[in-house]
Amino acid sequence: MRRLLAERLVLATGVIVILMSALFAYLRTST
Amino acid sequence: MLPYLARRAVWLSVYLVFVLAPVLALLLGDLPPTRGFWTEFSSAIAYVGLAMMGLQFGLTARFRYVTEPWGEDVIYHFHRLLSLLALGLVIAHPIILFAIDPARLRLLNFFQAPPVARWAALSTYSLIALVAMSLWRVQLRIRYEIWHSMHILLAVVAIVAGIIHMIGWGFYLVDPEKRALWIGLSIFWICLLLYVRIVKPLFIMRRPYVVTEVRQERGDSWTLVMRPHRHSGFRFTPGQFGWLTIWGGPFKITGHPFSFSSSAEVADGRVEMTIRNLGDLTSKISEVPAGRRVYIDGPYGAFTIGNPADMHVLIAGGVGITPMMSMIRTLADRGDKRPVVLIYGSNDWESITFRETLEAIKTRLDLRVVHVLLSPPVDWEGEKGFINAEIMMRHLPPPYRDHEYFICGPNPMMDAIERALGEMHVPLAKYHSERYSFV
Repeated sequence: MRRLLAERLVLATGVIVILMSALFAYLRTST
Repeated sequence: MLPYLARRAVWLSVYLVFVLAPVLALLLGDLPPTRGFWTEFSSAIAYVGLAMMGLQFGLTARFRYVTEPWGEDVIYHFHRLLSLLALGLVIAHPIILFAIDPARLRLLNFFQAPPVARWAALSTYSLIALVAMSLWRVQLRIRYEIWHSMHILLAVVAIVAGIIHMIGWGFYLVDPEKRALWIGLSIFWICLLLYVRIVKPLFIMRRPYVVTEVRQERGDSWTLVMRPHRHSGFRFTPGQFGWLTIWGGPFKITGHPFSFSSSAEVADGRVEMTIRNLGDLTSKISEVPAGRRVYIDGPYGAFTIGNPADMHVLIAGGVGITPMMSMIRTLADRGDKRPVVLIYGSNDWESITFRETLEAIKTRLDLRVVHVLLSPPVDWEGEKGFINAEIMMRHLPPPYRDHEYFICGPNPMMDAIERALGEMHVPLAKYHSERYSFV
């Protein structure tokens, strides 16, 4: 269960950093 | 002090700020010409991947205030999985660029590629080697100490080569302020490593311990009794552990994590660690001479008693008894009258570590011990096999959700018990587990 906590944290981190990278690219190309 | 949940949220936010802020800072000020969406996206994930790799040094730096709300095992598992994520991001960067322009595939030729691409290749290959060695260390038969040295070396090469590639490529980092930001970040990451490997050992070296007794226990285990040498020692909470260095000084690359098995109420700073012979470094514990100077980096771990509970249920497998023994001894020393149930799985009757000690301490607290044996004697009338939900329900009074559960043992046992507690509808917040095989 504690491993599950770490796995969820990494999954959440992965989703956030990929979305933020997409936002970075969007902001760069939309202006 | 903030509650653990709030501290977790704070540290997670700090982590994300450290990963994302330097990348988003690239959008400020004068910008180079715009490229396509996927090119920009591939650049962003490469910067993010590098920032995550650098912060890995911080995750394993054993900052007590950071690790305390999570537990060391969660931090190390997080560290391991994050390297896979960082590797994925770093590898996706050239794959996206190759997909946009297949002519770039020529950069894969290490000998003909320009230096800036070679640094990228060196960084990526180092990271691949680092992850592969970590995932398959046992299968590759690499000794732990060698693996640890290689792990640090490859991590430094991956980061330094990565930052050289980024600076060499220019683009966003042509801007001197942005270049200074990323060089500064890289220096910060390396400083985290220097803190762990140089600054911290200096502090530990000034607070040595001396082995006063090496006591044989049942189950091929040995208890090291250690006293602080010319200092007052440290206070720990029962269930916590320390990194022990027996052979060599604190600068030696590897300490090993062992739980304290003594009471936290001992006034003279003495600590005990009970270690089972598992065939590696632990096979030499019996040879440690009294008087030997050793070093303990600790205490660490969130696997501790202290929450309000009507009853403590301790579930131990094999040498997982050591933190439980510390809890039982501490509760006895504190005169705690709340019931404690210890469900203790062992291989056979003769190999039950602390068997007699547990019997003796029963007079000092409300302790019930349920032995569960894998290979019981023929006349055994107690519990047999592996600890499961049926055994727990036979020995615990309902409602099960009101008790506080502590689990320590081999990984398969921990997985099984956690599933069983789920079946018994015990909420996650009521049980605590810490895996000792996280390195």
